[in-house]
Amino acid sequence: MYLFIRRFLYIALLVSVSTSCQTNPYRQGHELYKINCESCHMEDGSGLAKLIPSLKSSGLFRSTPECLICLIRHGLDKNQLTGQQMPANKRLNDVELANLVNYLRQEYASITIAVTTEEVNACLANCKDEE
Amino acid sequence: MASRTSFMSKLTSAFILLCFIPFLFLSAGCKRENKALPILGNQDVVNGDTIRHIVPDYLLTDQDSQQIRISGYGNKIFLADFFFISCPSICPKVQKQMLRLYDKYKDDNRVMLLSHTIDQRHDSVTVLHRYAQNLGIDTGKWKFLTAEKDSIFYLADQYFVSVVDDPSAPKGFDHSGRIILLDKNRHVRGFCEGTDPESVTAFFSTVDRLLAEEYK
Repeated sequence: MYLFIRRFLYIALLVSVSTSCQTNPYRQGHELYKINCESCHMEDGSGLAKLIPSLKSSGLFRSTPECLICLIRHGLDKNQLTGQQMPANKRLNDVELANLVNYLRQEYASITIAVTTEEVNACLANCKDEE
Repeated sequence: MASRTSFMSKLTSAFILLCFIPFLFLSAGCKRENKALPILGNQDVVNGDTIRHIVPDYLLTDQDSQQIRISGYGNKIFLADFFFISCPSICPKVQKQMLRLYDKYKDDNRVMLLSHTIDQRHDSVTVLHRYAQNLGIDTGKWKFLTAEKDSIFYLADQYFVSVVDDPSAPKGFDHSGRIILLDKNRHVRGFCEGTDPESVTAFFSTVDRLLAEEYK
């Protein structure tokens, strides 16, 4: 009986240690998505008909991360067809942008190669819309 | 001895089953009972008659520049919300839920949807028309409406939807995302939070209850 309890406790300890070691690397990115993107693109990224594009079918995440970084930072002018505009996110710093882009690429294109803050900064300096 | 025990056991089971049968009937009866949805809002008594709250029948302009009054649609119930197209906060989520309601009732001629813009400065008839087109809906079923700002704000108040000018809010408006259910007589009979998909899912049964009540 004593042996059984000891084995049970060992297993419980192993399970709790392995669970606590699993950290979500996209946690901040997901939180930033909820704060900055979710109200338009929806919780599941499905968008709204032709008015707000779905992130699920977007090819943008499979292209180079530069496009995505510039798009998030500077937004999009009013679309003449839909009348919708994507607002700029000037308040996001380089770390937040990297985390958001990494979350989006992993979530919607299963790309796990992370973008670094250095890459974000280099990209921001070359955005077409940079003022 | 064994067979006697088995017989007693069967007898006990049968007795328990018989005891539960009346309860089964009673519970089935309770489910069938459908109470009428309440009429929301204050009520006045004038000359002994009870006057219930009614949403005013304002003249509104739709996305095709047509002048309409909801009384003109007579025999329908309405699902209504207040929004504006450049809204960066709750409106897309609420419109997504209105789209769910539209999809559920699009083939049911007894139901109409009404979205009222609170931003008269930007949401012209042309802009509303384009918005409806891009939403991909039938504008005979779902109308996008505008009127003078004061009228729309008062109408929102009568629908029990909070709409106020607030310079500190995104784009200058603070408003609620409620979706309101009106009956054929323009009484408010229910509402849900349009930002909460679960609230809208529960609201489907409220709409169905009103349909059952209004079209007996």
